[in-house]
Amino acid sequence: MTAETQIKDTISTNDVVLFMKGTKSMPQCGFSSRVAGVLNFMGVEFADVNVLADEDIRQGIKDFSDWPTIPQLYVKGEFVGGCDIITEMTLSGELDTLLDENGVTYDKDAADKIREANA
Amino acid sequence: MALKDEIHAKLDAAFQPSSLEVINESHLHAGHAGDDGSGESHWRLEISSTAFEGQSRVARHRAIHAALGDDIIARIHALSIQIG
Repeated sequence: MTAETQIKDTISTNDVVLFMKGTKSMPQCGFSSRVAGVLNFMGVEFADVNVLADEDIRQGIKDFSDWPTIPQLYVKGEFVGGCDIITEMTLSGELDTLLDENGVTYDKDAADKIREANA
Repeated sequence: MALKDEIHAKLDAAFQPSSLEVINESHLHAGHAGDDGSGESHWRLEISSTAFEGQSRVARHRAIHAALGDDIIARIHALSIQIG
């Protein structure tokens, strides 16, 4: 299977996918760690793809998304953004809206706690 | 030209920003993954420009990546972008 086919398969069969360095339980980069941490804290069920484990996927996801950095978040097959964008959307509440609109369950109180802690 | 000046010049040319800060944060990541020893691995941008009006967050970031070009993107490990 080519990297592109593998990526398309992953983002079409999982509602939320994070392409990251390391895994959600053991991130290996501060930026990946931040996004995985937000999703974990909000109780979002997501698939993690460790790009460090596969060089074809690491380059493939950059080409596929037209985005040069990792992490990268996909919701319902759509690219949402990287670390800066996810952080901004978490704090503004836009991430809640996006998850609501896509029927992805999460802990609203936890999301509010993140915002309170960063107010 | 130092990398910082190169980044500054490319963004100036592309967006005529009303404010632009190019901050080298490499020292904060010394010894971490991605520190290549160049002292020019981790960068943060704070940029304001009317060029970004009406664009989505993703489109704004893509425009910045494009303005910097593949060469600069390949040379750096991390780029944090704040668009005001």
